[in-house]
Amino acid sequence: MLRKILLLGALALGAAHPARAADTVDPKAELKAFRDYFVGRFPKVPLDDFVNGPYSMDAGLRKQWKAIEEFPPYEFAVDKGKELFSTPFANRKTYGDCFPDKGIGVRQNYPYFDAKSGEVITLELALNQCRAANGEKPLDYVEDDMAALTAYMAFTSRGKRFDIKIPDDPRALAAYRKGEEYFYTRRGQLNFSCASCHVQAAGHHIRTEVLAPALGLMAAMPIYRSEWGGMGTTSRRFVTCNSQVRAEPLAPQDELYRDVEYFLTYMGNGLPVSGPGARP
Amino acid sequence: MWRAPALLLGIALFGAGAAAAAPSAGEQLAFDRAKGNCLTCHDIEGGDSPGNVGPALHDMKKRFPDRAGLIAIISDETRRNPQTVMPPFRRNLILTDEEINAIVDFLYTQ
Amino acid sequence: MRFALPLGFTALAAAGGLTFAALAGPADDFAAAYAKADAASKQAVALKTQWTTTVATLKSAQAAADAGKYDDAITLAKEAQALAEASIAQAEDQETAWKDGVIR
Repeated sequence: MLRKILLLGALALGAAHPARAADTVDPKAELKAFRDYFVGRFPKVPLDDFVNGPYSMDAGLRKQWKAIEEFPPYEFAVDKGKELFSTPFANRKTYGDCFPDKGIGVRQNYPYFDAKSGEVITLELALNQCRAANGEKPLDYVEDDMAALTAYMAFTSRGKRFDIKIPDDPRALAAYRKGEEYFYTRRGQLNFSCASCHVQAAGHHIRTEVLAPALGLMAAMPIYRSEWGGMGTTSRRFVTCNSQVRAEPLAPQDELYRDVEYFLTYMGNGLPVSGPGARP
Repeated sequence: MWRAPALLLGIALFGAGAAAAAPSAGEQLAFDRAKGNCLTCHDIEGGDSPGNVGPALHDMKKRFPDRAGLIAIISDETRRNPQTVMPPFRRNLILTDEEINAIVDFLYTQ
Repeated sequence: MRFALPLGFTALAAAGGLTFAALAGPADDFAAAYAKADAASKQAVALKTQWTTTVATLKSAQAAADAGKYDDAITLAKEAQALAEASIAQAEDQETAWKDGVIR
């Protein structure tokens, strides 16, 4: 009874003092607001379609994309990824031994907050942790093998709905909050936050490119980018996004990058895994 | 012995061509990706593949009769609109005052 | 707190300044200018607000000095310092300003 009174009191205070309410972390409410914002702004886009990034925003680009998907440029990466994934380590164990469900159809659960280490574990980090646990050297986060592995894992999970969990643990909430702060913080000489392009300017063109909406932005990772002439991991994309706004990138899989991935993937909860993706 | 006349002819031809086609300093700065890079977000006449994040830059003399106001927008639009996506070209030392003035001169021809 | 420089760092920076003032010549003027720029640059890195432009300008400054072009080198070092300081100002402003853009 006392708890109820206190809770009601807190809610009342929250309503009366929006500034204070804004300082408590409420991922669920923020997720709803995030989704409502994009659905409201792009009423013609079916919710699930947001995972197709620029193609959900531009009919002309979408046509080109559909043509490309006839012979997907990421296919070779999926095949390579399957081969790498199934090849045992020197100690005869495999990647499957490190993951739930043998690592098949699990991409939608990453990143997750690991209570033991107190850190966010992304799929890329989990793969390298698996290698380390089995006496193998880590893979470079921005290179092809890591992209191939995550491409395969995404492929086996296609259509599954993202289900990122934020446990009632102050460290998990702090990680979510740090990722959110990073997402909305202006950086680089060009003074852009992630939100500048993927929220405010979503759907607009910068020169010939169409900016993808932040809703579902992680769903298609890893991506084959025509601009790169190859595959790119989430790590690679974060690094290049930073340089493009003239911000010195952090190291791939820096704790802060993982927090961003945690926040951003959570914001896409309920949307389907669409990776690996093809982008201009 | 033929070098001098050839040189003069060359200069004359170049001069004629240049007078017809050379973009102004301001236009060059506006289109230069390392400088104003305006086309990334704005439609400007004479530019290739302009973006549409910001408004098209036409009728500038009519729309921005106050030169100081236009300079302010390029220098630091966050002062007027804290949520703007326009980079603060002067505050963040992307362009000098001289360069901004040259760009404004060019914009006033649009 | 994020913006408090340790006392030792401040003391070292001051000592460095005094040492350089005692010498003369363009190479030393450059060294002093570069040290200031580098210190600001390192502070930007610590705040995770470093700009690629700052890194590139510092490199150019050093390259100019290595080529004996001290006037250019000093100009570039000062530019790098200004860039680093602008990036620090950006981080300081964004510390609170970021919340204004959050979708609610």
